[in-house]
Amino acid sequence: MTSPTLTRRGLLRGAGTASVLASCTKPASDADSNAPIVTDANAPAEIGPDAATVAFTLDGKAMTVSVEPRVTLLDALRNDLGVTGPKLVCDRGACGACTVLVDGLPRNSCMMLAHDVAGANVTTVAGLGNGDELSALQAAFVRHDALQCGFCTSGMLTSCAALLRRVGSGGSKLTAGAVREAISGNLCRCGTYPHVVAAVLEVAGAKPSTRSSGPQKPTTAPAREEVG
Amino acid sequence: MPKKTLTVGFADQLTSIEAEIPADEPRPWDADSHLTIVGKPLPRIDGHLKVSGRAKYTHDVQLPGMLYAAVLRCPLPCAKITKISITGAEKAPGVKAAIAVAARGDRIVFAGQDIAAVAAERLELAHDALALVEIEYEALPFVVDTQLAAKAGAPSVHEGAVSERRTEGDEPGAGAGAGPQGNVRKMPDSERGDASKALKKAAVVHEASYTTQVQVHNALETHGIVVRWDAKDKLTAWASTQGIFSVRDELVEIFGLKPADVTVITEFLGGGFGAKFGASAPGSRIGFIAGELARKAGAPVKLMCDRHEEQVCTGNRPDSYQDVRIGADASGKLVALHVKSLGTAGIGTGAGIGRNAFSVYTKIANVLVEASDVFTNAGPATAMRAPGHPQGAFAIELAIDELARKMKKDPLKLRIAHDEHPLRKWQFEEGAKKFGWTEARARAAAGRTGKTRMRSGYGVAASIWGDFGRGGAAQVTATVGRDGTVVVRNGVQDIGTGIGTVLAQVAAEVLSLPVDRIDVEIGRSGYGSSVGSGGSTTTSSVTPAVRNAFEQVKTKLVALAAAQLGVGNNDVVWGPGGRTNGGGKSLTFEQLCKKMPGEAIVVTASRADTFGHHPMQFMGRPTQQIAGVQFAEVEVDTWTGAVRCTRVLAMHDCGRVMNELLTKSQVNGGVILGTSYALLEERVLDRDFGRMLNANLENYKIAGAKDIPEIDVVLTDVHAGNNSTGAIGIGEPSTIPTAAAIACAVYDAIGVPVRSLPITPAKILAALGRIPGSKGPT
Repeated sequence: MTSPTLTRRGLLRGAGTASVLASCTKPASDADSNAPIVTDANAPAEIGPDAATVAFTLDGKAMTVSVEPRVTLLDALRNDLGVTGPKLVCDRGACGACTVLVDGLPRNSCMMLAHDVAGANVTTVAGLGNGDELSALQAAFVRHDALQCGFCTSGMLTSCAALLRRVGSGGSKLTAGAVREAISGNLCRCGTYPHVVAAVLEVAGAKPSTRSSGPQKPTTAPAREEVG
Repeated sequence: MPKKTLTVGFADQLTSIEAEIPADEPRPWDADSHLTIVGKPLPRIDGHLKVSGRAKYTHDVQLPGMLYAAVLRCPLPCAKITKISITGAEKAPGVKAAIAVAARGDRIVFAGQDIAAVAAERLELAHDALALVEIEYEALPFVVDTQLAAKAGAPSVHEGAVSERRTEGDEPGAGAGAGPQGNVRKMPDSERGDASKALKKAAVVHEASYTTQVQVHNALETHGIVVRWDAKDKLTAWASTQGIFSVRDELVEIFGLKPADVTVITEFLGGGFGAKFGASAPGSRIGFIAGELARKAGAPVKLMCDRHEEQVCTGNRPDSYQDVRIGADASGKLVALHVKSLGTAGIGTGAGIGRNAFSVYTKIANVLVEASDVFTNAGPATAMRAPGHPQGAFAIELAIDELARKMKKDPLKLRIAHDEHPLRKWQFEEGAKKFGWTEARARAAAGRTGKTRMRSGYGVAASIWGDFGRGGAAQVTATVGRDGTVVVRNGVQDIGTGIGTVLAQVAAEVLSLPVDRIDVEIGRSGYGSSVGSGGSTTTSSVTPAVRNAFEQVKTKLVALAAAQLGVGNNDVVWGPGGRTNGGGKSLTFEQLCKKMPGEAIVVTASRADTFGHHPMQFMGRPTQQIAGVQFAEVEVDTWTGAVRCTRVLAMHDCGRVMNELLTKSQVNGGVILGTSYALLEERVLDRDFGRMLNANLENYKIAGAKDIPEIDVVLTDVHAGNNSTGAIGIGEPSTIPTAAAIACAVYDAIGVPVRSLPITPAKILAALGRIPGSKGPT
């Protein structure tokens, strides 16, 4: 585990903004997110300030990109690799629109540096289906109209895909509360939450609760910042 | 004009009317029309692009050689520029162009105003370069607090005359204001009867002040534009806009171009909520900046606001300070209402309080509504989803509940007794049954009596909006090709409502084809003029034009079929799948199309002005008044002040429901936006420094999935005889009553009113007298 672990959060904390950031993340999970996320034994000990190459797998394809160490994963994906799924909305981990899966776990790509994912598997919304074929979850989003303007949709889907992977074969026991918990870091301004919950429950094979869009107490532990 | 008999009305309240319909308009779809595709809950046709990340927003546009722009913004709320130099920025690494947007001697009037801008090869480099702009300011006195700004002697925000900026997002018919007195600028009064006199004679009077906060639109896609010069006097712009033609017109004006030489493209749009009209944002000249940098650099330039910029300079919903007096006679009849409001639109105008106080409870004989803009040194407000209405609804609806409590009357019955809209009365009555109003209110009363810790409360509020659909505004081209392709084309943008899907449904309905046989081309100025997505007018302006164009195409196809089948035009029967039958023979749609003399049948058509309304007129206009009511349930923890809205029943009318699924999505959105406004959102400005303290999305709270109620949507088809499809609109009315209903529910739960939005735990504890030193009810 000799990776540089240049998380953007780590950098910001070093700059003395820990208290600001702590207020917008879950304290219990904050410590975990400090842990190295991805490691690459061959990664150089030091990179920058000039651009350096980073290699990772993007939606199943090997990818290299040369960017300065300060460039976020989100900016590298969007501006250097032409990826259009993850969106830049808040640029500080508050809205979830940039969510991607890094080695299967949902992450805010605006809070990671591109060099953090050296050697990792990065999945965007475009990698959830099979080529041009939509995944069952994506198809359910369309059927339930779990999208309006569509700007939160990529991040919403990525978080929900991670949830479905987590519950595995236990989907029939999935509750609306658990779905809401899983997307609690994904902000939507058009008001798609009720339809998102309905779509996920349908795909999981769970019965929609009678109060499918109402608030419930959290029933599952995982939240995005706890993983890593 | 020819008269046609229409069946209009709603539910079981249908009636026949003789309506004058322009000769070139088909008989409007009414209650007797049996439609098979329009109205159905069909998924949106472009959903697959949005769920796969392939939908291209302005945010996603990348062009060869494209540069990234960033804007330097003034950190001070009021200042004179004493020095400005962009020389250093121009020479910074990667920079291809730099411009000063402000000049030495300019007086800057809010923190966030444009100062200078650069375009560089990468966004990081553009930001680096902005640090090299040399700028010095002389700080000037400023005021950001609405009530302080309204006082005599407050620093003047504007030195000269103020021009009013109006967009398609503003409610039609709202009047212009007078010249300012100090920072206060009065808008026209709405008045009937004599409120002052009636209040003096009233047996019971309730008087209180209500305040609402500044809310920021915060569409997820920020304001942004990409400009590419295709020639010296010709450009293409990709814009995150809810008004493609408003962007084109502003670019034409800024750069002195011909309309035909400006192409504007908005393939997909990440929300707008009223703030995205024109090439510029309300408080930032982004269209000019991107265009000028692109011209200077000789390369396309992309300028997307960041979230901080989105919060401070791209518009907001004004706040309000409303003094309300409402009175009833001894029998409990409401006799007088007086609302006097101050609100700030920052440096801009338009802090009104909507129509609720004046136009919903029309049986109140004496009403005076006065409203004034107060200028402050803050970013300009602009239209936001039902401008003014949620503010106005909050004050008047809570005031009615407070008066009802004083008179020991059921607030729902009081509302029904003073509302003349047949549909809204029906919605109140049917909604009460569905919601379980009577039992729920009894439960809440028991909770108050028993002083239990956890309380439930129930409230109801009304919505009012008009059919503002515009005749002639949308030019729709219908094309049926010899190969059987069917294309509907119009330059409208989809703000997220799924308008393209609805256009396809209308075309499919006319031709009796499946929706997936229709190709929809929208989102480009070259596709024919259209309306902005504002005023809840898109569906009512564009869908009738689609129908009219395809009816004309169908007439031509029928003539073609008649010739082929050897029968008269009137003997051709148009069947499912577009099959034509006559004289014992039949043709499939494809067979018929192959017989076309040319490559295609093409018709461009629009719609007439609105030609009728039923059952209720919108005040002062010859169009329909649409109705809605919402019931809300809240849970309040009286120990901690924690409050959540747990259930909303939303009863709405939007004329003919064009697509039940998409319409419900919109209503969900209205309720969620309203819940967020009621309980969470608030722009916080520092009075001492004049800057926004929460210009982000972690401290400016918008409702997440765990903050929202269970939402039950009831849509009622209303046949108004208004246009050829009968569509009206839903975006705005669906958000008007939510915060008001929640505030009334909180009052029901705890027995004391919280007269200030957002209703936070601190305000609830203060209202309950649980904060030492607080005065009790706010």
